[in-house]
Amino acid sequence: MITLYDFELSGNCYKLRLLMSILKLRCDIIPVDFYPGRQHKADWFLRLNPFGQLPVLKDDELILSDSGAILAYLAKTYDETGLWFPDDPAVTSEVLRWHAVADDITSTASAARLALGFFYDFDIEKAQKGAHRIFRLMDEHLWFGEKMGRDWLCSPAHPTTADIACFPYVMLSEEGGIGRQDYPALRRWTDRVRRIPGFVVMSGIFPAGRALEQA
Amino acid sequence: MTLSLSDPTWYPIASSEDLPFRHVYQGQLLGRELAVWRADDGNVNVWENRCLHRGVRLSIGINEGGELKCQYHGWRYANRSAGCTYIPAHPADAPARRIENRTYPVREAYGLIWSAANDDQPFRPFAGAEGYDWFPLRPMPVNAAPEDVLAAIARLAPDDQPADILPGLAIRFGGTYYFVQPVDASRAVIRGLLSTQPDLATLRSNNETLSKLRDRLERLAARKPAPTPLQPAFDKVSADLATMPDIAIPRGNTITVVVKRKWTSADGVIGFELAARDGHLPTFQPGAHIDVHLPNGMTRQYSLTNGPGELMSYIIGVKQESASKGGSKVLVETVREGDLLSISEPRNNFPLRRDAVRSVLIAGGIGITPLLSMARFLDKSSLPYELHYFTRAGEQVAFRGDLEALHGKVILHTGLPRAQIGTTIATTLGQWSFAQHVYVCGPAAMLETVRDTAAAQGWPEESIHYEYFKNDKVIDDSSAFDVELARSAMTLHIPSGKTILEVMREAGLTVPSSCEQGACGTCLTRVMEGEVDHQDVYLNKSEKVSNSCMMTCVSRAKSARLVLDI
Repeated sequence: MITLYDFELSGNCYKLRLLMSILKLRCDIIPVDFYPGRQHKADWFLRLNPFGQLPVLKDDELILSDSGAILAYLAKTYDETGLWFPDDPAVTSEVLRWHAVADDITSTASAARLALGFFYDFDIEKAQKGAHRIFRLMDEHLWFGEKMGRDWLCSPAHPTTADIACFPYVMLSEEGGIGRQDYPALRRWTDRVRRIPGFVVMSGIFPAGRALEQA
Repeated sequence: MTLSLSDPTWYPIASSEDLPFRHVYQGQLLGRELAVWRADDGNVNVWENRCLHRGVRLSIGINEGGELKCQYHGWRYANRSAGCTYIPAHPADAPARRIENRTYPVREAYGLIWSAANDDQPFRPFAGAEGYDWFPLRPMPVNAAPEDVLAAIARLAPDDQPADILPGLAIRFGGTYYFVQPVDASRAVIRGLLSTQPDLATLRSNNETLSKLRDRLERLAARKPAPTPLQPAFDKVSADLATMPDIAIPRGNTITVVVKRKWTSADGVIGFELAARDGHLPTFQPGAHIDVHLPNGMTRQYSLTNGPGELMSYIIGVKQESASKGGSKVLVETVREGDLLSISEPRNNFPLRRDAVRSVLIAGGIGITPLLSMARFLDKSSLPYELHYFTRAGEQVAFRGDLEALHGKVILHTGLPRAQIGTTIATTLGQWSFAQHVYVCGPAAMLETVRDTAAAQGWPEESIHYEYFKNDKVIDDSSAFDVELARSAMTLHIPSGKTILEVMREAGLTVPSSCEQGACGTCLTRVMEGEVDHQDVYLNKSEKVSNSCMMTCVSRAKSARLVLDI
């Protein structure tokens, strides 16, 4: 039985809800009041995850933290197709590289969002600048990807956990005052992610229209 | 140079490849935010980036292929005209057709999408544009003043090939053009065009050059005071475009259309494609009809079969009746391809809800026309529906190809005996549950069957929608009475044998009417006093019982006097 310690408005928690929905996994949700309750710093939560961060996932007796690590765990354990976290070492390292980018997006775009929406004491301007720097790189990577016939962040012809890890805080960037107008290839990629079968929404992340082929 | 909000120059605002189907691109030109999207017919729309309801950005809306739907409140706008086709909360389920978003001129050429702040200048190709298969470079957004960006690009030119500065913030050296899109006073996008198809290494190298140029420009711009951003005004939509036409004003506006195509769609059904002579036709809603002014002076109503955002021509189906008295007969027999016809703007007496969990469309014979349009709208929006089409024989199935292109449940019922039609309808409808709606159009007997069956199976009146083509009832015009016209301060005597409408016209009043047989709803009038003798087929039972409105074309008075709000 899988249990997710979850905060609805957290993009990092949403990454797990999204992958579990795509893999058709059922889980129990235990809401943790991250804001304003700060329950992720409560004693009972720190016993689960001494780092004091959401999300935490329990699979029977196994307790896991860090959204990127949990994405890898879920894919390796429950994805029978092996597509979401491929075994090929070269691809694995590519995926992990983008998991690291996802953490950079969290420390910039998500930080700006926490400062503006949750009154965290972060340097908003620095966080926004950092997010724009990453989005520029992603837009360039995705534009050249399209030119080479690649739709996703990594080289396989299908999405991986890298796309899931990077997606939420790109979509939520406007809440941190970071527009995406200058990143058309990045915006097209978010359409593609939102069309993955099993896609679910969260507050601030809405569905895309159906693609023409499927309509 | 100073950027001007009213600069009529055409600038590139996107690459063609930025607009895949079903995507909405976010753009900006001279301070104005733009929602740019390609419809399934290939047309590119450049609109002000806000929904008219609450100013929510349309660039986060849903491109449904023929309409753009606002993500937040579900307002929908049509391809080409930007006319609002649906307001979920509107009491009549149908918006004023004149509510339109602001659009900007657009042209797709040389691998780029071009637009301008206004229509003052025609689009012209840049010098040397013709004869090449242009390739657009990766657009490079730069946070720096457009004129500084232009100057910096000029310095990229090799010494032996000085840059040729062109009008419209453009520059050329060798076979390469650079256009600077003025996003705002302190922001620009560099859009390069190559006259040959490059390899990947060339693209990488161009991208690297432009990235370095951008970084240098942004470092310089950061040391200068930022120019004041352009302040485009969010104009209110003019009253003319944002209001329901007043019912008392005669809708005499006609549009001249060309009969572009006339064909036999099925045994006994002739299709007509009526095209605009210039540009597109007005926005319409699913279920809408037009009045067609016929060469013999008659006016007849025909439903549009078009899908969402198809505004280049209207397609109607006309029943070829051997016993026809004149209307459709004239159209079928004398109107040829290439002829001009006068039509009215589309009107909708048969609005489609788009918040239903199940929509059942039932058509009999030529009644397929409005329901085909509805099915197409539901189809494009991926909403669940089923279309049941009853005909006497298979050859009578009109618009067969269009029906086959639908993805919903389309069921043809051919040659059923009358009794079986009844049971089929009963099974199809089933018991009513919340948010189910049925729409029916066809012969009077069929409408009655659907209405009675639905009512018997628990369908409330509000969930049963129908449209009559004609009033089959025999009109009893033997009564005589007086009408008092409250607004016009006039009392008229209506003798037997004359309609209220006729007497009002004789008295010099201009009143709207269309079918003049109590079927279309155009002459709907509020009743303030008196008891109405309803003879129309437009109003439903509870509307008739309320005694608060009537059709002046066929209905009469049971009381000696009626007071009307005219």
